[in-house]
Amino acid sequence: MSPSPDAPRRRSRAETPAEQTFADLMNGFSLDSGRKRPRTTEQEPAREATPVVPQADARAFESSVQETHESSIVRAYAWTGGRTRSNIDLEIETLVSANDQSRHSAGILQAEHQRVVELCHSPRSVAEVAALMRLPLGVVKVLLGDMAERGLVDVHQTASAGGDTPDLGLMERVLSGLRRL
Amino acid sequence: MDYVGSRFPEFGPPGPPGRELTSAKIVVAGGFGVGKSTFIRSIVENDLLTMSSLAPERAGGVTELVRIQFGRVWLDPGLALHLFVAPQWQDPRAGWNDVVRGAVGAVVLFDVMRPADSVDAMRYFEDQNIPYVLALNNIHASVRSDVTAIIRGMGISPDVPVMNCDPRVRLSVREALISLTEHAKLDRWRRRPGPDETTPLAPVC
Repeated sequence: MSPSPDAPRRRSRAETPAEQTFADLMNGFSLDSGRKRPRTTEQEPAREATPVVPQADARAFESSVQETHESSIVRAYAWTGGRTRSNIDLEIETLVSANDQSRHSAGILQAEHQRVVELCHSPRSVAEVAALMRLPLGVVKVLLGDMAERGLVDVHQTASAGGDTPDLGLMERVLSGLRRL
Repeated sequence: MDYVGSRFPEFGPPGPPGRELTSAKIVVAGGFGVGKSTFIRSIVENDLLTMSSLAPERAGGVTELVRIQFGRVWLDPGLALHLFVAPQWQDPRAGWNDVVRGAVGAVVLFDVMRPADSVDAMRYFEDQNIPYVLALNNIHASVRSDVTAIIRGMGISPDVPVMNCDPRVRLSVREALISLTEHAKLDRWRRRPGPDETTPLAPVC
């Protein structure tokens, strides 16, 4: 996308803030960040015209933009709607798997949900999903939490979830499993 | 065959679908270049995955991505064991919470030529009451008793098992993980609530 049509769009966005979609918002972000050095003075008003994202989140965006696969991370946080916490308790080792409902609704899912469903045909941990989708852990937790609430994935709680240490039964299982390796 | 499990046979757990699934994790810590990734690779037998996580903001207010390597192995048809490399960090403890919370315990790899590198990790696990074992890498057996004396002199609890471990050798890694889990089990038993102070019977090998 060339930067030239950017200016009129930004103006129209400022005029009708109620009609913004997340896609508009995120386009604004990536264009702004790409032009950060030459247009530093114009960047601030554009960001203030985006009512959905509070200032603290905007700073978080900015710092992740400096990382290597910045665009995917910015897009990822758009998927979570700026949220950083999930309603469901997910540890990094918690296993999730796609269920029948998600398989049947394969054609009508959002793209990111579709990717998760494809990955989780066999059980995968939250950490694996994060690594294979190349998304930050926090984003994946929110994404999976949403999908679990909608019944698209099954969450297999770890025996340690909630408590600080795994229970003795689980340790016994780990031990006998290790001996069999 | 048309059942679901047959579609992606290479990824799944070795058991039948529908069985109750659970997972556990073990943390591998230690100084830079001590063999943490090698240790995990020896036991999971494939390449490690890397996930990124936003570390909690430190004093400077800088938020950066921490990269965390890990591997996974199915111990039985319903149990996936994850092995995480404790991330290297300027402040080594930032970003560890997600990795450490709920772990069975930790293996601290200890290079006797560079003992200071692993001390931070040991202190951290001591402070957090997380069971851990010390796995000595790069060591000749004849000097081991001296090293053990030095380690004890650093104020590490005498309960902590100390062993030799070559991270490249699968059996050696397996031994370290087994003794960690046994240690963690005993530790958990001692800490459990209740008046009864007996310890479990020694495991039969």
